[in-house]
Amino acid sequence: MDMLLDGFATALTPINLLYACIGVLLGTSVGVLPGIGPAMTVALLLPVTYNVSPEGALIMFAGIYYGGMYGGSTTSILLNTPGESSSVITAIEGNKMAKAGRAAQALATAAIGSFVAGTIGTVLLVALAPSVADWVVNLGAPSYFAIMLLALVAVTAVLGDSKLRGFISLALGLSIGLVGTSTGQPRLTFGNSLLADGIDIVVVAVAIFAIGEALWVAAHLRRRPLEITPVGRPWMGRADWSRSWRPWLRGTAYGFPFGALPAGGAEMPTFLSYITERRLSKHPEEFGHGAIEGVAGPEAANNASAAGTMVPLLALGLPTTATAAVILASMQSYGLQPGPGLFDNEPELVWGLLASLFVANTLLLVLNLPLAPVWAKLLRTPRPYLYAGILFFASLGAYSVNFQWFDLLVLLAFGLLGLAMRRFALPVLPLIIGVILGPQLEYQLGQALQLSEGDWTTLLSEPVAVVAYVVIALIVLVPLVARLRGGGTDPLEKELDDLEKEVRP
Amino acid sequence: MSAAKADEPSTRVVDRAQYALAAFLAVVGAYVLYDAATLSAGFSDQVLSPAAFPYVVGGALVVLAVLLAVVTARGDVPEAEAGEDVDLTEGADWLTVAKLVGVFVVNIVLIDLLSWAITGALLFAGCTWVLGSRTHVRDLAIGAVMSVGTWYGFYVGLGIPIPAGILDGVL
Amino acid sequence: MTVVVAYSEDDQGRAALAHGVAEARLRDTDLVVVNATRGDSYVDRRFAAGSAADHLREELVRLGVDAVVRQPIDPDVAGAVLAVVAEVGADELVIGIRHRSPVGKMIAGSVAQRLLLDSPVPVLAVKPDGPAHSAV
Repeated sequence: MDMLLDGFATALTPINLLYACIGVLLGTSVGVLPGIGPAMTVALLLPVTYNVSPEGALIMFAGIYYGGMYGGSTTSILLNTPGESSSVITAIEGNKMAKAGRAAQALATAAIGSFVAGTIGTVLLVALAPSVADWVVNLGAPSYFAIMLLALVAVTAVLGDSKLRGFISLALGLSIGLVGTSTGQPRLTFGNSLLADGIDIVVVAVAIFAIGEALWVAAHLRRRPLEITPVGRPWMGRADWSRSWRPWLRGTAYGFPFGALPAGGAEMPTFLSYITERRLSKHPEEFGHGAIEGVAGPEAANNASAAGTMVPLLALGLPTTATAAVILASMQSYGLQPGPGLFDNEPELVWGLLASLFVANTLLLVLNLPLAPVWAKLLRTPRPYLYAGILFFASLGAYSVNFQWFDLLVLLAFGLLGLAMRRFALPVLPLIIGVILGPQLEYQLGQALQLSEGDWTTLLSEPVAVVAYVVIALIVLVPLVARLRGGGTDPLEKELDDLEKEVRP
Repeated sequence: MSAAKADEPSTRVVDRAQYALAAFLAVVGAYVLYDAATLSAGFSDQVLSPAAFPYVVGGALVVLAVLLAVVTARGDVPEAEAGEDVDLTEGADWLTVAKLVGVFVVNIVLIDLLSWAITGALLFAGCTWVLGSRTHVRDLAIGAVMSVGTWYGFYVGLGIPIPAGILDGVL
Repeated sequence: MTVVVAYSEDDQGRAALAHGVAEARLRDTDLVVVNATRGDSYVDRRFAAGSAADHLREELVRLGVDAVVRQPIDPDVAGAVLAVVAEVGADELVIGIRHRSPVGKMIAGSVAQRLLLDSPVPVLAVKPDGPAHSAV
């Protein structure tokens, strides 16, 4: 508890408060703007890590993460355009509410629900992360290797529709991670001394998230303007409050554990929350026509899962979402190694970051309720400026790594890879996690074998490692067995598909 | 052969471009394997050979390439990524992408000579032009403000001087 | 024989529509309402999207004029309107105009100005809150 109070002392210094404000405002505006997500924004801002203090930068990034989640819900409600799969549900009910003249209430329940879920989620994070870290710190290299392998397999095989494509992305990411001389010999450097230190993760992240996305959108620009529901200041009446608070809490209960799991993500808990609310509601007939519970629950689940993803990120050094992966990359560029040691080595930083999550959450609520009409105006930004701006800042970010044109060339090459990945439906998350975790995986394996003097059975010498391998086997085998038995598809999965069809315009 | 094909119902859609992706993966995988083969055994205290990981990754890429080619032939079609600002109902506009890449290459070629403060402005204005803006003077002005602004932002705010190229002494 | 109205989802557009309807009745011709957009932003508040377009059509039906609504998407909005004028062989174009500051004129090109100067047929330029508002 003292640690947390010290953390607030760090988070509430004027300069860090300023970074939190910038992060929240920036995060919300990019969440609102079409085509830019929090992962891309953090990637574009990675150059600030060269001079801003680690506390300041991480506090800002955390604000962007939370803000981006919130901003996405605004466009889902006002325009019926879910930017990410986790806001699909918000779009179903929220946009119906907006069309029925209840946009203000939909935005309010989303904002307050996000605040409630984010705050509870952060409390859980503060309670859990240090004990998880204490537990992990005693694990040996074999267990750590197995857990990282589990995270890679889980992210690759569980998320996304096609396992084959997931593993293709992962293999590409691992090959990018091989480049360099980390093992003492140059690997995949093509004899180019500029590649000796490996490919900078900043360049890869910016290329895949910003250049790839901008080029992909440029190839498929939506021309016809969308209908926006005019909005005033969000507010809720007494009846809305009494219908919202239970869904908020239930949504939080779904969201946090899913976020904390290696492959939970935010999509599944929002669907589960929606289905639960529809079953429990006293007004089931309103669902599909703008039920406030259908916005309150999923939005809370969405934000609670964002808080949940910080548990594996801080305690294990495992990113489970794209934004978490880029935040991890930023920590690495400070020479910080997230994971069990972080709580002991950098207490001021970690607790400052945790405290700033509370601050960011409160700022979101205070700033966003009055600013909703301003965010709606952002949608009028002409696209040429939006995407030219993305390409401009992406180039600047990559160039500022070493001030060498070579990095811009690498940026373009990986940008084109990012474009191809979107064309061929290859998920970007396994690639970026492969780039980040690949070298660590190799390092931990090397450590384990070093200690055992080359005896490979050491990999199974720790119970945690064995459990991890069993889970990996289950993840890979269960779907295979299900397919072989020819069993019908999961009823839940079918329901999700139906829901998704309902909302896609 | 051709007669047999004609008998088949032609409902199966094959995404031929996906073969190119499979070929790309195979080439990358093969190169990773080749590169691994050129590595020497490593230091005596290195239990894990530096070539071990590349062999696994390269091998995986080749296997995945073959699998991708097989599913492609069986009619697997990728479900291209949708998005807030992506309209998949109309065909892709690759010409715009090619033009953007061209603007990007110009930036790479000129940046050492002219410096970011100039090429950044050209990059921004060029991209707005490719993306359909027709107010050239305004675009160039905005680009110039942004590139010179970021130059000073880096210099004053972050303490990092971006190379000034031919503007050395002017900025 | 027809009257073309350059419509936008704002006061100028509504004024133009009101006068256009009056002109069409006076001349006993049909009406073509053109609501063009550059299509370069996510939301264009002068463009009648979704239910706004339905409202516009309902309003025209209620007024009992023989009217069609066209919504071209063209980077050159004035050009799109003039193309419709030429295509339907209009004998009059009705547009809404407003005061603009000198700075505003400098920064953004004016659609209204191009229509006034380039239209091959007579142009009726109206301002919001004109007398015809009450006539409809």
